[in-house]
Amino acid sequence: MDLTLKIWRQPNANSKGEFKSYQVKEISPDTSFLEMLDILNEDLLHNGEDPVHFDHDCREGICGTCSMFINGRPHGPQRGITTCQLHMRSFKDGDNITIEPWRAKPFPVIKDLVVDRSSFERIIQAGGYISIGTGGVPDANEIPIPRRIANEAMDAAACIGCGACVAACKNASAMLFVSAKVSHLALLPQGQAESKERVENMVAQMDKEGFGSCTNTGACSAECPKEISLEHIARLNREYFFAKQSSENVPVGDQVHEG
Amino acid sequence: MDNFSHDVLIIGGGGAGLRAAIAVAEINPKLNVAVISKVYPMRSHTVSAEGGAAAVIKPDDSLDHHAYDTISGGDWLCDQDAVEAFVNEAPKEMLQLEHWGCPWSRQDDGTIAVRPFGGMKIERTWFASDKTGFHMLHTLYQTSLKYDPIQRYDEWFVTKLIVDDGRCQGAVAIELATGQVQAIAAKSVVICTGGCGKVFPFTTNANIKTGDGMALAYRAGVPLKDMEFIQYHPTGLPFTGILITEATRAEGGYMLNKDGYRYLQDYDLGTPQTEPVLRSMELGPRDRLSQAFVKEMEKGNTLEGLYGQFVHLDIRHLGEKKINAKLPFVRELCLKYENIDPVNEMIPVRPVVHYMMGGIHTDINGATPLPGLYAAGETACVSINGANRLGSNSLTELLVFGARVGSVAAEFASNQSDYTFDMAYESITEENHIKNQFFKEKKNQERIADIRKEMHKTMEEGCGIYRTENSLLASQNILTDLKERFSHVAIDDHSRTFNTELVAALELSNLLDLAESIVQSALSRKESRGSHQRTDYEKRDDENYLAHSLAYQEKDNKPRIEYLPVTITKWPPGERVYGR
Repeated sequence: MDLTLKIWRQPNANSKGEFKSYQVKEISPDTSFLEMLDILNEDLLHNGEDPVHFDHDCREGICGTCSMFINGRPHGPQRGITTCQLHMRSFKDGDNITIEPWRAKPFPVIKDLVVDRSSFERIIQAGGYISIGTGGVPDANEIPIPRRIANEAMDAAACIGCGACVAACKNASAMLFVSAKVSHLALLPQGQAESKERVENMVAQMDKEGFGSCTNTGACSAECPKEISLEHIARLNREYFFAKQSSENVPVGDQVHEG
Repeated sequence: MDNFSHDVLIIGGGGAGLRAAIAVAEINPKLNVAVISKVYPMRSHTVSAEGGAAAVIKPDDSLDHHAYDTISGGDWLCDQDAVEAFVNEAPKEMLQLEHWGCPWSRQDDGTIAVRPFGGMKIERTWFASDKTGFHMLHTLYQTSLKYDPIQRYDEWFVTKLIVDDGRCQGAVAIELATGQVQAIAAKSVVICTGGCGKVFPFTTNANIKTGDGMALAYRAGVPLKDMEFIQYHPTGLPFTGILITEATRAEGGYMLNKDGYRYLQDYDLGTPQTEPVLRSMELGPRDRLSQAFVKEMEKGNTLEGLYGQFVHLDIRHLGEKKINAKLPFVRELCLKYENIDPVNEMIPVRPVVHYMMGGIHTDINGATPLPGLYAAGETACVSINGANRLGSNSLTELLVFGARVGSVAAEFASNQSDYTFDMAYESITEENHIKNQFFKEKKNQERIADIRKEMHKTMEEGCGIYRTENSLLASQNILTDLKERFSHVAIDDHSRTFNTELVAALELSNLLDLAESIVQSALSRKESRGSHQRTDYEKRDDENYLAHSLAYQEKDNKPRIEYLPVTITKWPPGERVYGR
């Protein structure tokens, strides 16, 4: 199949970007979307032009690297997949395909389709881990975890951190990502001790990074390649409310003054 | 980070690298530890591991059982003191991960679930659905973020180790985002860069697995151990090489030839039963299953596809419910990449290069012969995997030996003085070296893709599942020629930001050195053992080759092979028995 690609080109973070049109010809429907871009890049290199930069790594839908806004949707037209899992059979011969980077202030463009997603990392750094000392290592089976709870935690932990939720949201909210991280640890016994600080700190960092507010449109979940449920946002809200209302809610960090 | 000087520098941010970094931070919070990687940590290949991680937990299991399965699976080439340490520390590491929030799959009663795996006599493979590596890596990554002393150089490509005053004191690397070449000093350096499956054309490995760390150590004079042992996983998807996890067979999948016959029964792997039987048939070790495929192909019993010969992996009888519950990722991969639904259709599979048993020669703690240099994970060869690794031992290995190596590297760093080399000089020298190597106009300019393709072809043909002296000599000659041609490679892309062509050239240069060491090691080992099968020497020869091969890079860049005896503690070499 022959296709016209309209691709966002931006040499670096400080320059202004623009769309450029490219033609690719005789693409097999079994080609993956990224392979189609590889073919384009080989052509570009052959002609002495700068290849299109895009993030990719495992190409089997698990690493969370590939991130493209394709025809107005993160990871393209299919549900529940990453860009690397998208194949050209989802398009028709002669189609025009518009390819952009994630658009959100906290995800600045580095080059072409590559964006800086380190804001996600700083949110995790604000509390997305278990930091209390757990002493030695008693038998994992000493604290049995009901299977449905373990499964729900696993579903939350399935988030690959790709940022499609942010790209899909009209407010560029990161609530689905943050809620998946909070929910995973909030559901497990080892996450209980720090659950209040965790949700408060992670939400505070999310706001600090400049992500927008959640207005419950659900676009994030609909576009999430791992189909993370909105239920986790509800759980985050409950956790947050509970933490804020709790009698243990005392100032943290530098604000603490002993007697 | 501005002064580019650290106590411990860890090259590679996958499972082993992050586990090592956490170990350093926990042992001595005063130490400044840096993790440098050509990708973001979460993109490391650990993320793709599916099946699980082995550690004894069931009441009827024992450490000795796990050790024996590992040693017999490795055809007695494992160092048994290392295996004993490994099985002993494995359960502790798994529980540690549990404490850090890893969502292990559980049974209905809330206890940890374990599944059977190839070559394991008792169920001991912990898993997190069929995304075990993903959940382990995320747990380690999130945990690493809580330690302030852990700094990261993401998307930096290391090109050289710095050895001065008789010890490894750091590395030189390119910052991919800017093209800056920078020397980084460290009192100890740990290599955790994974394997080099990309020496071969069909592999389950991601594109990043180009053995960079192995090549760094090799060029710094450290030997590579047991490089001839390459694991073919029996069930990869043709063409893409995407792995269909062994758990598929552990849950009851059948391997069928073109006649729908469970052909493994013809290869001394037991008799077919409806339900999976441990250490039998489809749950035999990977080397034996991959070898059976080649024999079936020679008999004309395989199917012909667009991308070569294949057989079928059939899980239809498991039913949709079980497939969704136990193997959701398998179904997802088949649907999304092959456009087939394993609920109703058989999965086409063929053996695919999966894992390097060999790697950087280390002792039981991950120390290499070069003071200050350490290694862990697939890039290292301790050796616990011998001539054939058992599925689900590698994820555990990167925890156990990641933790061990972190602790010894921390101790070494605590007792060292500052670096003795000139940082600016090292940076500029390496930058000039790279410029001279790749950015000059050249006569008879060669293309990276052409050389890589020919390397793939000769490695598959000459150094695949079965080898002979002739096939290996042919590969050796071609590799010599390819290395000559590589000196004519020039790079068209002169940009400094994310120069992917430069990275591809550096990676290919690593792969060519490693391919040579693999072929030379395979030529020297005149016996058949585990994954190394010589049709001209069909028997295992304990008298001459119950020993690790060590490949050293000589001055002319050619490998020289020496041997090191295997450590035997409790299990004298015996016959590998499966299914009887």
